[in-house]
Amino acid sequence: MKTPFPLSRRRFLRQSGFAAAATAAPLILPSRLRGQNAPSKKITVGIVGAGNIAGSHFGKLLGEPESVRILGVCDVDQRRRDEGAARVNATYGSQDCRAYADFRELNRQEGIDTVFVCTPDHWHALVAIDAMRHGKDVYIEKPMTLTIEEGRAVVAAARKYHRVAQHGTQHRSMKRFHDVAEFIRNDGLGKLERIECFIPPNNRHCGATWRPEPVPPGLDWDLWLGPAPWRPYSSLGCHYNFRFISDIAYGQVTNWGAHYLDIGQWALDMDASGPVEVEGRGEFPSSGLFTNATKVDFTVRYANGIPMHCRTRYEGGGTSRFVGERGWLDISRGRMSASDNRLLREMEAPNKKIQLPLSKDHHDNFFDCVRTRARPIADVELGHRTTTVCNLGQIAMVLGRKLRWDPAKEEFVGDEVANRLRGRAMRSPWALI
Amino acid sequence: MSAEKTRSPRSPAGGDAERNADRLSNAGATPDPWEECARLDYGGDRSFAWSVREQVLATPPEGRAQVEARLLKALAVPACTDAGRAFLCQMLALVGSVKSLPVLAPLLRDPKSTEAARYALQPIPGPEVSAALREALGALTGNAKAGLIGTIAWRRDTTARAVLAAIRENPAEPAIVREAANRALDHLTVA
Repeated sequence: MKTPFPLSRRRFLRQSGFAAAATAAPLILPSRLRGQNAPSKKITVGIVGAGNIAGSHFGKLLGEPESVRILGVCDVDQRRRDEGAARVNATYGSQDCRAYADFRELNRQEGIDTVFVCTPDHWHALVAIDAMRHGKDVYIEKPMTLTIEEGRAVVAAARKYHRVAQHGTQHRSMKRFHDVAEFIRNDGLGKLERIECFIPPNNRHCGATWRPEPVPPGLDWDLWLGPAPWRPYSSLGCHYNFRFISDIAYGQVTNWGAHYLDIGQWALDMDASGPVEVEGRGEFPSSGLFTNATKVDFTVRYANGIPMHCRTRYEGGGTSRFVGERGWLDISRGRMSASDNRLLREMEAPNKKIQLPLSKDHHDNFFDCVRTRARPIADVELGHRTTTVCNLGQIAMVLGRKLRWDPAKEEFVGDEVANRLRGRAMRSPWALI
Repeated sequence: MSAEKTRSPRSPAGGDAERNADRLSNAGATPDPWEECARLDYGGDRSFAWSVREQVLATPPEGRAQVEARLLKALAVPACTDAGRAFLCQMLALVGSVKSLPVLAPLLRDPKSTEAARYALQPIPGPEVSAALREALGALTGNAKAGLIGTIAWRRDTTARAVLAAIRENPAEPAIVREAANRALDHLTVA
């Protein structure tokens, strides 16, 4: 097939005026040019989205200069991308890391092996798919995508282009969460009765109206909006606060739900499937810029009858509680407790009949898989399935009625409106293809 | 028995003074949300649009044709704003049918309203909708055309292959459009 490749790296650089910068070729060669399986080779990284969540990656990646090298930082906000690239270069004592204004340019850099997708949620799918199309392995921050349709498209792209694609649910690489999931799989609580998940509160205070503002210098607002419906800039609805606007994200339902519902999915052996029913009652603001639920409350139910209940907890943060006939286990990042300490001791006992894969570090697992081409601990298929559970809760709360879900077909049964909420058209020129 | 328990539901706790205050209110009649949501402004109070949205989402299948008609009527209000049009089309994306096509097709071909119209049309099934999308290719340029190509491919409209191939090969088309056509053809090949 003839391919015009109108956005080739060379052409992009020429159009963007970056040709001079490109001639200063980085000294770090991409690992694929030197044998992917060589563990001593440095894996090169590009980071797309240099805001809040990227900060959690910079520290880890910059701390491993012998195995990982960041060569690009991209953000639509000039201050953020420049600060990010400067931090990398200061750490390395070089000028190898470039700042990019457009992810498409970074994704077309042949010297970059992997792309970390750290943008607001509505960009995750498009950035990741474009990166994989151009031969990059991807680490996609949670939630994996904004919509269910986007999630399936990301998985399809990973398989089509044979890419390693890790979902940024690092609980999968924390032994505590691993042990709980494994314990439940081995009927450590006896017959499991239910799972209770709590997530932090959603929207901050926002008035009934808001005022459009001039776009700040250095911010490409059109590219920040990307596939989302157009609206004028407001500082209230940009960095971080995007999370509370449903055009961009689904709030803590998908942000923290991606973590705590994920462990439920893991414990229930639902990584390639999902629930069959969902109902919810959310409280949504009837005016104002923020549109996501201020109070979250939904329940999904699996084919084996086990419900997983997710709701807002206004104090105390996120947690997952597993309740079975032998008692309960409560787990969060900071602590773990049980109805009986004996359960905790049993949980740590070795040689269980069913043993789940153990990853000690989410980044290391990703980079190991980049070298070996194995599926990572949080492969995008299970990332998509967990994000789907979050989305089911969101859709059920929006519609306020019980819905039946077919996890094999990934469609609602007998509810056309619910099915249309699985995806949405994207603003030009973006499309989920 | 306390006085609290014997009070009639028609007698509010505040008595006559409070009732009179309510009667003398100068707040005026409540506007029709279906008209008001067409005049939505970015940043303005969207509570009327919220009322409409709640009705749209709660309407059972047998009532959706009526809801669709009300949305289309609101869309035809001359004072319809960009924000109002975008909102109404988002609602049509949920409950719209081919009955929306006579209203949405002209909007799709107009660069000022094409985004909102395409948002509404993309999930509406039917060959009539696919045909309208293909026909609009000749009316749009640049980013809008690239987005339209994406929608056509997303709908798995394999009958569009020939026209997409022509766009891909046309050197007069901008790069963003040719690239979109290229990706669309790849997508349709997989389909």
